[in-house]
Amino acid sequence: MIDRLLEQARRRADGGADALWRRVERTSVAFEWGRLKGAGVTEETGVSLRVRHGGRVGVAGTTAADASLDHLIARALASADLGEAVDLAFPPRAPLPSVPTYFDRAGEASLDDLIRMGRGLLDGLARDGCRVNVAVERETAETRVANSAGAASHYRSTALAVSADVWRIAGDDVLVLGDACEGADVPSDAALQAIVRSVNTRLDRALTVVSPPEGSLPVVFTPAGLAALLLPVTQALSGKAVLQGISPLGGKVGQAAVFDAAFSLRDDPTCAGRPASRPSDDECVPSRVTPLVERGVVRRFIYDLETAARAKTQSTGHGQRGIFGKPVPGYTNLILASQPDSSNVGAQHAAPLPLGGGLVRDIQDGLLVDELIGVGQGNVIGGAFSHPVALAYRIERGEITGRVKEAAVAGNVYELWKRVGGFGSDARWTGSRYAPSVLLQGVSVARR
Amino acid sequence: MIDRLTAALRRSRADYTEIRVERTWSTAVTFRGRRLESVTASEDQGGFVRALSRGAGWGVASFTSLERLEAMVSRAHDLSRAVHVETPIRLADVAPQRADALLDLDGDVRGVSLAEKKRLLEAYNGAMLAVSDRIVDTLASYRDEVSEYWFVNSDGTGLHELRPEVTLSGTAVARRDGTIEKGLESVGLRRGWNSVQDGIAGFRTAAERAVRLLDAPTVKGGTYPVILDPELAGVFIHEAFGHLSEADFVYENPQARAMMTLGRRFGKPLLHVGDNGAAPGLRGTLPFDDEGTPTQDTPLITEGILVGRLHSRETAATMGERPTGNARAVSFRHAPIVRMTNTYIGKGRGTFADLIGDVKLGVYACSAFGGQTLLENFSFTAAYGHMIRDGQVAELVKDVVLAGNLFQTLDRIDHIAGDFRWNQMGGGCGKGGQYPLPVTEGAPHVRIEEALVGGDVPA
Repeated sequence: MIDRLLEQARRRADGGADALWRRVERTSVAFEWGRLKGAGVTEETGVSLRVRHGGRVGVAGTTAADASLDHLIARALASADLGEAVDLAFPPRAPLPSVPTYFDRAGEASLDDLIRMGRGLLDGLARDGCRVNVAVERETAETRVANSAGAASHYRSTALAVSADVWRIAGDDVLVLGDACEGADVPSDAALQAIVRSVNTRLDRALTVVSPPEGSLPVVFTPAGLAALLLPVTQALSGKAVLQGISPLGGKVGQAAVFDAAFSLRDDPTCAGRPASRPSDDECVPSRVTPLVERGVVRRFIYDLETAARAKTQSTGHGQRGIFGKPVPGYTNLILASQPDSSNVGAQHAAPLPLGGGLVRDIQDGLLVDELIGVGQGNVIGGAFSHPVALAYRIERGEITGRVKEAAVAGNVYELWKRVGGFGSDARWTGSRYAPSVLLQGVSVARR
Repeated sequence: MIDRLTAALRRSRADYTEIRVERTWSTAVTFRGRRLESVTASEDQGGFVRALSRGAGWGVASFTSLERLEAMVSRAHDLSRAVHVETPIRLADVAPQRADALLDLDGDVRGVSLAEKKRLLEAYNGAMLAVSDRIVDTLASYRDEVSEYWFVNSDGTGLHELRPEVTLSGTAVARRDGTIEKGLESVGLRRGWNSVQDGIAGFRTAAERAVRLLDAPTVKGGTYPVILDPELAGVFIHEAFGHLSEADFVYENPQARAMMTLGRRFGKPLLHVGDNGAAPGLRGTLPFDDEGTPTQDTPLITEGILVGRLHSRETAATMGERPTGNARAVSFRHAPIVRMTNTYIGKGRGTFADLIGDVKLGVYACSAFGGQTLLENFSFTAAYGHMIRDGQVAELVKDVVLAGNLFQTLDRIDHIAGDFRWNQMGGGCGKGGQYPLPVTEGAPHVRIEEALVGGDVPA
């Protein structure tokens, strides 16, 4: 279908065309409040077409199986007619790296297999006074991307996600904590056990509530807790933000000491066994590792074809597109490490223990932050943040002494990343981010 | 279409089956700075089947290819039978509904050319850019849709609706040296082209505010009397309280049920809160929810006391209460879950001036950049604020973040003005992976006698 579409589009659009066709099937089971509640399937097919005509770019998408190609092309041309000129060239055919994206065991897992995985988690997490929600979802997808310059990419992929959260309500004290494991293959028993251990350990430590510390303190951010500290950085490393002139990192490529020398960040679409991995992006650009920050020095921003064309540079292979919009730059697998090329990135979750990855023992008085409230609100890219804690623990004399409730942490991300106190030994995947716990000095902690 | 769906329904072997089909035409225009970022026209269509068999769980199937309808009805039944449940799932009774409810399209957006939509947004975006050369970036978007909707279930309900929607949003970014500030404007209506012709002033005001915020000091962190404007008060009641009143949170969770016992005091006698899916002319309004239950006005807090909650047919049956018409799905890709519609704090007495008259030092928190709650804890970022000094609105301040505990904060609402207003904003509500659901919030000015304002957290 995509070949016929491109063939016809090429005849009508003088600057060529590209298209993405994707078919997704999802099977999911849900356990609500400790009970199996239902099972579901989703079958979805869609096509997204982009044309370049008269120097202008237009897009159109549809999920209607009976949509005429003619009509789709006409809509894309109408969109191009109003669009602004952009010097976008569709990339020629190029060799694609071999990235394993389809795992038979995941693709063939039965509904009963998924239910069994969920039950296993439920059993491991059951405890008095608590309720547990578990979701298991398996996705198989087929993706075809091609353009009128002859480039094409076709791959099948699998993804399997298991998540659990535990709710403990005692009076008006509500404690919710969870964990999840996502991979392209079926999770190992060890990975599922790691979720159970991670949830139970954090829950045990949270049963005692202690008063929060106050002042400028050492704070350990767990791999999950790091979200607030990495979000501004990833926004600022997007070529789109740089192009708009709103990135604090724009113009800082190659400068020394923008970050601590222990800070290295890369994006790797070729990681084995990760659901975000793929041989090419959604614009036929071959996948490759992009070093973003190496030993504290900004190396590269991410680009899709259009953003790259406007910035007069090359796409880094980060074009992501849905059925209905145009492609935008987006990350795949983000890896935070103390060395730019540390290669021991596992496909599954590492055992997440001990809490804090060994960083807690040298702290006299501080905090361990696992989740914050309000991450992503406000003026994120500027780097200043102030968040109440959702889940945080007090550290006293090298030990975690209990959960703190009424506390808020604040600071400026770019200042804090200049002074990394240490990386933990607990690096793991949290969604599509691989990172250890990180100790940062001088984080402002307030009671409320 | 209804006949085709009814025929498919008849062949289902499940005890209860429902089918929903949607076909949506939408267009979107986006400007970034002076550049047109995109103009798109999309067509999205698909169906959803949900089946329930005796002694079994829910089986659900969603699909984009309507040729698969019959196959998916039988698939949903198979999935239901594969899920064994110990406690049977029951559905509260709802009388069968038949309706061909074509909402007023108010200028059918499908009859307006892309070029006209581009021109409209270009003017609104231009108004932001023209405010000052300090405006270094803008993001302006226009989106409209008309969705044709069919719903049938094995209880005899058959519905056909045409649902319009149009949203406009603008972000103006002002910059001076290292300081960057934003101003937001957002409009969301369940209406058509005619309703968005007079929006330019809101865009201009957003840009002017972004420029003025460059000179505004950061609010000094601390505890203050805080007055919420109707917009922020609406976001607050939706996020901090509304989600707790959704019965799927409590119906199978005894501890949560204890926390949300009807009759519990949540606030002073002046506090009234409700959710009204039938309020005329609002974005969260529809005649029926996605289980075919008629929408209604549901009181949640009356005179400070918890009196109700929002239900689907399943949560209502489990709790022995009545369905409220709050089972909603964001699209055919999802099952209906308990959601809000138009959530409000009821009108009080007096004016804004009465609220601030006896405040020596306080904060007037306006509009919302965002908000998040984690059950009893919340954090809201106001778009801007003003100090209140000696009963008067004083200087503009920025980085106003309100954080606190829901129960304490509701109980500290000590004054509610009579200036109620619905806030018809774009965006939408997110829950369980379903976003953006069209909702509306409404409130008057509300005073909290004491609340923690963060922003500048002392080191």
